[in-house]
Amino acid sequence: MTAPRTDDVPASRAAREPRRGRGLETVLIIVYAIFALSATARSLVQVLTKFDHAPVAYSLSLVAAATYIAVTVALVRGGRRSAVARALVVLELLGVLVVGTLTVVDPALFPEATVWSVFGQGYGYVPLVLPVLALVYMLLGGRKGPSA
Amino acid sequence: MSAVSIVVGVLGGLTAVLAVYYAVRDLSADLVLLGACLVTALGWLVLGIALGAKDLASAGPAPDRVVLYGYLLTALVMVVGGGWVGAFERTRWGSVVIAVVCAVTLVLLMRVHQIWPGGFA
Repeated sequence: MTAPRTDDVPASRAAREPRRGRGLETVLIIVYAIFALSATARSLVQVLTKFDHAPVAYSLSLVAAATYIAVTVALVRGGRRSAVARALVVLELLGVLVVGTLTVVDPALFPEATVWSVFGQGYGYVPLVLPVLALVYMLLGGRKGPSA
Repeated sequence: MSAVSIVVGVLGGLTAVLAVYYAVRDLSADLVLLGACLVTALGWLVLGIALGAKDLASAGPAPDRVVLYGYLLTALVMVVGGGWVGAFERTRWGSVVIAVVCAVTLVLLMRVHQIWPGGFA
């Protein structure tokens, strides 16, 4: 194991050295990309093969998928300080909370599960935790200024 | 088939644990970790080919093919993509990405078993 160490360097040095990566932002982007991929695939299969079965649930699946794609793109292009990404993550959080509450209150609306059903139960509640973590990271990162 | 599936699961789990070790030690991905990623990807490729061959040969109840092959392809793309990110993100977070990706493949493997139990019978 002779991998290079990646100890934090002082900001002045880091500014002069070539960028080694985006850091935690990369992880956020990858996790969002995975969700974008899985939600899109799932909703496309649902909408194309059996839309009449549960129109509300499947439409929301599509909305969820579009949100994940949008957040991924916004993060890649604008980074964690992007206002667009922040707004989209807030939208995503609202979506999880509204759909999660609806699935608990009125299960008949959702004969089949979506990514956001019961606050993302089928995905280990990651859909509920992810936007919260992303928002915390974005807000903390935003305060440190452009060199962070 | 079950044997291949067990090997793929063990490979994914070991790579995830190795990647977590790298992240904790503040190491970026080196050739050992990237190699583990590659071997895991090859495992998925073999599993996909083996399941496809069984699907072609079997007369039993057909699997939900779109979903089954979608999952297999997703797993393969994810492991390769995770290794790709690990190779270019030269910080500990590249290792974290590999850990996340490998952990997700374990879930995908479980789902593949649920989607087509006949494939592993």
